[in-house]
Amino acid sequence: MPDPLFAHGVDLGAVVIVAVKVLVAFGVLLVSVMLAIWFERKVISDMQNRIGPNRAGPYGILQTLADGIKLFFKEDLLPDQADRFVFKLAPYLALLPALLIFTIVPVGGVVTIAHHTVELQVADPAVGILFLLALSSVSVYATMLAGWSSGSKYPLLGSIRASAQMISYEAAMGLTIAMVVIVTHSLSTRTIVDSQAASFFHWNIFRLGILPFPLFAVAVTAELNRPPFDLTEGEQELVGGFHTEYSSLRFALFYLAEFMNTITMSAVMVTLFFGGPDGPGFHFVRWLWPILWFAGKTVVFMYVYVWIRAALPRLRYDQLMELGWKVLIPLSLVWLLVVAAFRVGTVWGLGVFFGGVIVGSALWQAVLVGRARREVLEASRAGRRGANDSYLRAVPEPDGGE
Amino acid sequence: MGSLDSYLPIFFMVVLGIAFASLSFGASKLLAPQRPTSAKEAPYECGIVPTHEPARRFPVRFYLVAMIFVVVDIEVIFLFPWAVDSQSLGRFGLVEILVFAASVFVPFIYLVANGALDWGPIKRVRPVESQPDRTSSSTVRHVGPPNDQAA
Repeated sequence: MPDPLFAHGVDLGAVVIVAVKVLVAFGVLLVSVMLAIWFERKVISDMQNRIGPNRAGPYGILQTLADGIKLFFKEDLLPDQADRFVFKLAPYLALLPALLIFTIVPVGGVVTIAHHTVELQVADPAVGILFLLALSSVSVYATMLAGWSSGSKYPLLGSIRASAQMISYEAAMGLTIAMVVIVTHSLSTRTIVDSQAASFFHWNIFRLGILPFPLFAVAVTAELNRPPFDLTEGEQELVGGFHTEYSSLRFALFYLAEFMNTITMSAVMVTLFFGGPDGPGFHFVRWLWPILWFAGKTVVFMYVYVWIRAALPRLRYDQLMELGWKVLIPLSLVWLLVVAAFRVGTVWGLGVFFGGVIVGSALWQAVLVGRARREVLEASRAGRRGANDSYLRAVPEPDGGE
Repeated sequence: MGSLDSYLPIFFMVVLGIAFASLSFGASKLLAPQRPTSAKEAPYECGIVPTHEPARRFPVRFYLVAMIFVVVDIEVIFLFPWAVDSQSLGRFGLVEILVFAASVFVPFIYLVANGALDWGPIKRVRPVESQPDRTSSSTVRHVGPPNDQAA
């Protein structure tokens, strides 16, 4: 279904409405990033029994603004080993996807302004949710190029890790989004939201059987490099990660993009699984309630992100990759097939479900075989090297497990 | 035109984003000091003078992951057209997609069984050699006025 705003072609009124929508969305995003950073610092300091920012403005609410203004006055360093063009390009590549992903999120219902039917979302392209996948791939380039062009070892290590992590979890993210598409029959975010309207039990989280939402949430958290998956900026190992060499406003743009992505992904979770702006409303100012519902749900997820950051320790890199490849991707693929099969028939669904269990145990066996093989390999290597470290020469257990 | 109309807001947003970033860089250029020194421009190394060039070679595992990702991602993208039309394709579509998923999943199991997605050496707990004479009284040296168990 195309955007109804352009049903009669692109006339002046439509262009004005588009310009207003873009400007409002841009302003709201910047202000909400400002508030989100303050919110995160304040909530974390509460959880850690500290006071947190409390100087700039009431409750320190203007702290982020003060920090931003300060960064304008800081010297912008360009490391002499850096690839100058790519180094300057990377902040743009980080900011643009962050801004653009938000454009497809439906923030409210549909209103009529000056004979134009206006959907309260910036853009409603036909590819819809695929646009999200495309742009999150582009933001991998920002991380990769920023680290590579710095000409310094910690950013390089951080960016290589980050790109491997982001592409690993992107596949799981794509699979869970495909599940949503199976039940809504459309890629358009507006249709996805509309199909969940009417009742609480029409929300995709219930229609898809709960499991896809945690899968998507974990994949998105890893995609955002948020804790507990923030290995890119593990201070103890990598200083600041891929943006170590960035200072002044270039750093500010990375930081801005990071928080913008967190907000946007919270909003995407609401859109895909929690009915977007769906919720009970009242008969007066009817356009307002969906927006409030949407904002409320998004803030809940923002809070959960902060909570997770305060509560969970960082994963180890091999644990991260194991979780992504050996748990999330197979599980989401099997669940996708189960969802599809149940829509064809219950017998098919149960068949595919038990088939999935068999495939899962085959995968588990494969993991064990892989481990046993590597142990033998490592032992033979250690033997060739004549290492006297006896624990490296350990013979694998008969059952191959650890 | 037609279907491209709905990309107009996205185009506006791209222009606005680029303008915002460039204007900010311009303002920062006017406001910020410009006093580069060779020490400031050196690669960051926690304060000491860097001795090693950044590595130009990487563990081959990262390339392996990238290649396996391409396969899995192509599968994901091919799933989307079917997902949109899964209702009308019905049983035929489901069987097709099961075959397709199996054709990706079987090689995936083969890769896992070969350890293609394992990272780093296998973690083992080193056996602790027990030393009964090592206790807190033998390893901690007490300073200050001597007490009853002076070391």
